[in-house]
Amino acid sequence: MGFEVITKPKGGDIDKMAEKVFWEAIKMLGGLKKLVEYRNLTWLPSLAEASYVVVLKNEAMKTYSEIANILGITEQTVKNIATADEEEVKKYIEGELEERPKEHIAGGIAKLAYKKLKEEGRLDTEEIELKREEMEVLDVDWAVHVLAKIRGLDFPVEKEQLMERLKGMVIKGKKIEDILEKLEYPIKSPAQLLHQIKTHLQS
Amino acid sequence: MARYYELRELETKAPKLFGIPTGTKLDEMFYKVELEGDRYVKKPLGGIPYLSVLNVTGIPDTGKSVLAEQFAVTQANLGYRVLYVTVESPANFLYTALKNKAQALNADFSKVEENVVVIDASESEELRENPKALIDTMAHAIRERKVTNTIIDSITGLYEHKEVMARQIVRQFFNFLKKFKQTAILVSQKRSAQASESAEAAGGLAVAHIVDGTIVLDKKLIETRWDVNLYGLPIGSVLRTIRIDGCRLCGHDSRTWVFEITELGTINIICPLSEFIKRRGRVEE
Repeated sequence: MGFEVITKPKGGDIDKMAEKVFWEAIKMLGGLKKLVEYRNLTWLPSLAEASYVVVLKNEAMKTYSEIANILGITEQTVKNIATADEEEVKKYIEGELEERPKEHIAGGIAKLAYKKLKEEGRLDTEEIELKREEMEVLDVDWAVHVLAKIRGLDFPVEKEQLMERLKGMVIKGKKIEDILEKLEYPIKSPAQLLHQIKTHLQS
Repeated sequence: MARYYELRELETKAPKLFGIPTGTKLDEMFYKVELEGDRYVKKPLGGIPYLSVLNVTGIPDTGKSVLAEQFAVTQANLGYRVLYVTVESPANFLYTALKNKAQALNADFSKVEENVVVIDASESEELRENPKALIDTMAHAIRERKVTNTIIDSITGLYEHKEVMARQIVRQFFNFLKKFKQTAILVSQKRSAQASESAEAAGGLAVAHIVDGTIVLDKKLIETRWDVNLYGLPIGSVLRTIRIDGCRLCGHDSRTWVFEITELGTINIICPLSEFIKRRGRVEE
């Protein structure tokens, strides 16, 4: 046949998207370690289920009954997850509410995570893994080391906080302490930090 | 983040109004009105409005796919890339249909082959059942092949067993087509209870309300003496009609027109129904 025929989907992988929502939800709860520490691991099955419900409903446009069939749960549970008031749940997990709201908690968290991923355009972007040699070829291995050291740091940041995390590093023969002296503060995001370091290295 | 626009900010973003030819007389039925001297003049666009998303609906065998195929061949022959999402007919059947159309329209089929990209959702459940997967695949094809025109035949096939979702699904595709700057035709099917001459289709008025305009194709079987007298056609024959049922982007002819599907399988719009009746009606009296 002469013209190009596409027969297989290029994207829209429900499993991948649900996994992303699931991990983002865990992150929003303070990370897996915090869940272990607070003995909250029993939340995980509901969270996994809720992540699938949110993706199947909003991305694959499935009906409540279709989702119930796919996941093997009741239609009412699907409905509870899909209609959970995420703002109420957010207040609850942030400790603003004394009483547990009637909402489906995992549903609310999954919805918050989904919304965040969607707003940041991360739900359906392919993440590429770079190996050490590839990073060295691209001359960006320093960026990975910087990102690893600042993990968990709340932005915007001042010089002192960066100094504390990055001290001792040498980037392309320059001491990080000298580089940090020359940057403009406050730095609003990790991307801005990398950009400023890169500009400094090129100057 | 949500934001608002001052009206004048949108000036540079507003698309120009011109026509994208369909290879039918429909091209003369969309028009714009321009001020020339001290009077307004109606000027045909020469096609369906650029960047419009139009719904083509009708009962079975009214020529919806024929119209969509004719549009695809016309555009491809002019050198523009066309994405044809086939949900009903498998790609190999579409190939034959486009080849025949190209011959009938005197188009260069090698150009058609070069410029048409097909997504075959008819044989992929994932593409039919998961709008996100289909949209991502369409985005891939549009980006890779620099497509400017898209046809989905039919949009109904994406929600036929769950019409309750029609509005959300059509809205997603509509937004996607707008974002990717496509001039598009969505073919939609009617249900037996829906009036054949209305814009209503499966999913209710969802498609018609969301898209920029609707083209309704209809047919009438000549089955009574009254029909014979009125239309001047022999009993048992079929009278085909086409009508633009609204377009929010520009002015359009709102009359019902008579058309034929030629032996070669192309659409030939003849004249308005009222003229057809005047001309041919009562001929045999």
